[in-house]
Amino acid sequence: MVAEASERLVRPQTLAGWLCRPALALSLPAMAVLVGLGLAPLALIAIWSFWSFDPATYWIKPELTFAAYRALFETGRFPVFVRTIGLAGVTAVFCTILAFPAAAVIGLMSGPRRAAILVVLFTIPFFTSALIRSFAWRLVLGRTGIVNEVLVAVGVVDQPIEWLLFSNFAVAIGMIAAYLPFAVMPMVLVLARIEPSVIRASGDLGAGFWTTLRRIVLPLSLPGVIAGFLFVFVVALGTSTEIQLLGGAGDSSIAIMINDVMRVVNFPLAFAIATSVVVLMSVLILLANRWLGLSRMFEDLGT
Amino acid sequence: MNINAATLEASTGTRALFLGLLALGLVLIYAPAVYLLLASFNPGMQLGLVPPTEFSLSWYRALLGDNKLLFALTESIVVGLATAIIATPIGLSAALAFRVMGARRGTFFLFILFVMFVPGTIQGLGLSVIFKELSIRPSWVTVAAAHVLWALPFAFTVSLVSLAVVRPNMIAAARDLGASYWRAFIDVTLPLVRGGVISSFVFAFLLSFNEYARAYYLVGRQNTLPLTMFGAMNSGASPTIYALSGAVLIISFALVGALMIVGYRHAGPGGGWKKSTPASWKLLMLWRPNARSPLLK
Repeated sequence: MVAEASERLVRPQTLAGWLCRPALALSLPAMAVLVGLGLAPLALIAIWSFWSFDPATYWIKPELTFAAYRALFETGRFPVFVRTIGLAGVTAVFCTILAFPAAAVIGLMSGPRRAAILVVLFTIPFFTSALIRSFAWRLVLGRTGIVNEVLVAVGVVDQPIEWLLFSNFAVAIGMIAAYLPFAVMPMVLVLARIEPSVIRASGDLGAGFWTTLRRIVLPLSLPGVIAGFLFVFVVALGTSTEIQLLGGAGDSSIAIMINDVMRVVNFPLAFAIATSVVVLMSVLILLANRWLGLSRMFEDLGT
Repeated sequence: MNINAATLEASTGTRALFLGLLALGLVLIYAPAVYLLLASFNPGMQLGLVPPTEFSLSWYRALLGDNKLLFALTESIVVGLATAIIATPIGLSAALAFRVMGARRGTFFLFILFVMFVPGTIQGLGLSVIFKELSIRPSWVTVAAAHVLWALPFAFTVSLVSLAVVRPNMIAAARDLGASYWRAFIDVTLPLVRGGVISSFVFAFLLSFNEYARAYYLVGRQNTLPLTMFGAMNSGASPTIYALSGAVLIISFALVGALMIVGYRHAGPGGGWKKSTPASWKLLMLWRPNARSPLLK
């Protein structure tokens, strides 16, 4: 409506007129930031990942080579990829399993006030330090941490359990706790869009809770569930915090590998790793958009 | 489509199961942070909980004498304010654009989503080499540039949600009465989205204040606070790091909490919301515009 009205008011005939269209003019600053600071650097490192390292200048020179991409498969680098993807997958699975009931409680089983409070509780973590929340697990899971103290005091174990901290277990717990809100949000959004009469009709026709959940709610909210899984997966793919703070010695991830490679100034290799991740991420987001209409899921926002 | 219009009836057992899983999620998110906060009041060298009667601020006092930390804190506040001052208007402007965008909305949103999901390490690396090529020296400015990019999707979303109360016919009325686009924006739109703008500013500040993967590649000689903290966390931590973590958590919670309380106070019955706005997103901006506004009938 506004779009039509404003487009009728300002009919672009000159360049100045074209630039004055509100949609374009208003989005220009954001586009400048997103393209200039966001896309341009990524495009550049994608191109530079095919250049060769120049030992004379410790920088790169424009000679086309695939050496950096071949190096991805050398000396234990590939296992880091597999491990990071596996860890991101595990995190995403657990977050999805925990997030769906949470989103169902918020969207379908709460009054307005409780729903509002719960949404706030799942929103606050976005604005607190991931570093500190991850670090806090050290106190909880450590040798003298509260979990071990309780277990010993209760008599479940004689000795504190060593594998609670600086282990895959600690990393997985830290990541699930950190990224759970990413899974909850899209699920709440899709559940809010389910037509209430559909659920009421299901109940009127004699379906119980689980039948309605399985045959009505789940199919209708599937795009949100998959989006939640994907959001967690993508964010977990690029993190280093949890592994650096909670992982075992020598534990690595793709992001940590990039930092390490940059420390020995192997620019093309760092660029190649980064480019691979960005390409994988883009493919996943585009596929999700194709299949699930990711962008449609958010179109109600602000209207 | 109100979020709570449909209520799914469940047996007591099923309810308990769902609420239990929800509680487990919240415990995973909050329990460690709360535990750290409580442990930071322990005056001893050994970490752990002490009874509240023995709580002490001694480690917090030790923070105040640490110049290195104070410089890092100043740097982080400067970067955070710069980020918020720049990202907030750009986000609002992008949200205004989004509303009149028509068919290209989806693409624009996808683009924003993509930028938001690029790992910090990769974005930081990319920006650092670009700045190097342009001979821009790393400083608080380069960090702030990266943080504007990081905060923009959030500022955009919060602004967009808060713009839901501004109906096209309000702007049309202002235009009919002779107001220019700019006048209508200042006199009609801006007062209505005031709360959203404040939320957007605070969120942008906090996102920047707590960010470190990008800053790692972009800081100049002076580290930001999260980078200093990361160093301290990995070097045989003295208990001051727990107090520092506690202080940062308190600042973050206090800022978000203040927004919520102000928002709750201003929430009138019915508010200015359209029914179709999901309650979740109304709350995301943590503010409801004044219901008594004459424009909102």
